[in-house]
Amino acid sequence: MVRFENVGMRFGPGPEVLRDVTFALEAGSFTFLTGPSGAGKTTLLKLMYLAEPPSRGLIDLFGRDLATTKRSQFPALRRRIGVVFQDFRLLDHLSAFENVALPLRLSGIRKIDYTHDVEELLSWVGLGDRLHAKPQTLSGGEQQRVAIARAVVARPDLLIADEPTGNVDPDMGERLIRLFSELNRMGTTVLIATHDRTVVERIKSREMRLVDGRLVELRMTRT
Amino acid sequence: MNLGLNSKRRNASRVVPREDGAAPLDIVIGVMAFLAALALGASLVADRAAESWRAGLVDRITVQILPPEHGLAQEALEKETDAALVVLRSTDGIVRAMPVSQEETLKLVEPWLGKDALVADLPLPRLIDASILPGANVNLAALTRRLKEAAPHSALDDHAHWIGRLKALADGVALFSYGILALIAIATAAIVSFATRAGLEAHHDIVGLLHQMGAHRSFVARAFERHYFVSALWAGAVGALLAGGLFLMAGGLEFAGVEPVPFLPPLSLRPLEVLWFVAVPFAAGIIALATARLSVLAALRKIY
Repeated sequence: MVRFENVGMRFGPGPEVLRDVTFALEAGSFTFLTGPSGAGKTTLLKLMYLAEPPSRGLIDLFGRDLATTKRSQFPALRRRIGVVFQDFRLLDHLSAFENVALPLRLSGIRKIDYTHDVEELLSWVGLGDRLHAKPQTLSGGEQQRVAIARAVVARPDLLIADEPTGNVDPDMGERLIRLFSELNRMGTTVLIATHDRTVVERIKSREMRLVDGRLVELRMTRT
Repeated sequence: MNLGLNSKRRNASRVVPREDGAAPLDIVIGVMAFLAALALGASLVADRAAESWRAGLVDRITVQILPPEHGLAQEALEKETDAALVVLRSTDGIVRAMPVSQEETLKLVEPWLGKDALVADLPLPRLIDASILPGANVNLAALTRRLKEAAPHSALDDHAHWIGRLKALADGVALFSYGILALIAIATAAIVSFATRAGLEAHHDIVGLLHQMGAHRSFVARAFERHYFVSALWAGAVGALLAGGLFLMAGGLEFAGVEPVPFLPPLSLRPLEVLWFVAVPFAAGIIALATARLSVLAALRKIY
């Protein structure tokens, strides 16, 4: 599903943020990416969701070597990836419903065909009564839930989440992790970057640890 | 196919919010449309005026008999005029040949020389106005020769020179109008391109997110182009309406008997010609749409 080989990344003339990163995510796997702040987690995710090209190394996504893949095929690859951004990146002029529906609109699906799914998903994350609220009227936790609903609504093949439980209470955090597990059971490959140890311990899944730009630890915590 | 396109348009709509600061752009496009409609109206008026001038002169010839320098001027003039009339009336294709009376000739020179009694004593040429059967092929060179034989002081004028100059003038005005229209179109495109880039900059986060979510460049372009198309359409309609109103008002004034500017053709447009003005807002919309699309596509090409 995802394969990184000796991937390095630097911004401009600065030092390398990622160094010789090599790993693979199997299809249908559930993986945590942990590490201290500034270790390069977000940069690694950016490379994976095609926001930046790597400075060196090979990235293989859905069986395609990105270096030899035409740019015109990137949108199709991106649509197979759901991303929960650390800063949510919701569109302020659209309602919660419209924000969540965005990936479906991008795929050309008609409103009549997605309205029910979007409403159901928003209810599931506890926002059934806030369908038409604009993001600026939602709390941080509510915005995060909208962002998560948007990332999963199109049932992506790969779900990448950057600190998805950072702004919600433990109960809601658990509910959201269950949503990810549910999605994973249905076949989606999940990668969650977090430094919330309780979440990592609860799921007991594979954990990759980034320290100072290197993937230093690669262990399975599954029991 | 059409349905699919509409649904694509609907999907792209409202993804980008309408900018709060868009009013200046609307005003500029409105003014551009107003100027474009004026230029268009001017070209229509010039074209029609030239056509009516041409229609009045084509198929007409004028024979001028100059008074001889020596001898009895009046008598010789009359004799040569009669001889020229005989030649003209015996020529195939000429349906009418009438001498212009002394009074009419005096009237023709009145604007330049005045009504003075002295003018009547001037050796004025005699004029013969003749009409050619429309479409008839009269050999003017041969006719000139025959006229010269019968009346040595005659000169034939088929107005070709004058018609040529009128045509050149009208063509010049039309060309000038097209030039102005082209300049307005270029200026409008430049403004919209500038505004699109500012819009892209302002909505950088939205564009980046859409791009990240796998939106095709054309989806993002549609979201922008639709916005600029609708703005330009409205602004263009207001501008064209104002210009059209101005022409209609000029027509109304002329109809009410107010004298138009001397030597200028009437400024009024016919109802059918006003329909041309409907094209102006659509042209503005299409220019805005195409420019916005190209600007967005060019900007998105630079993103990974």
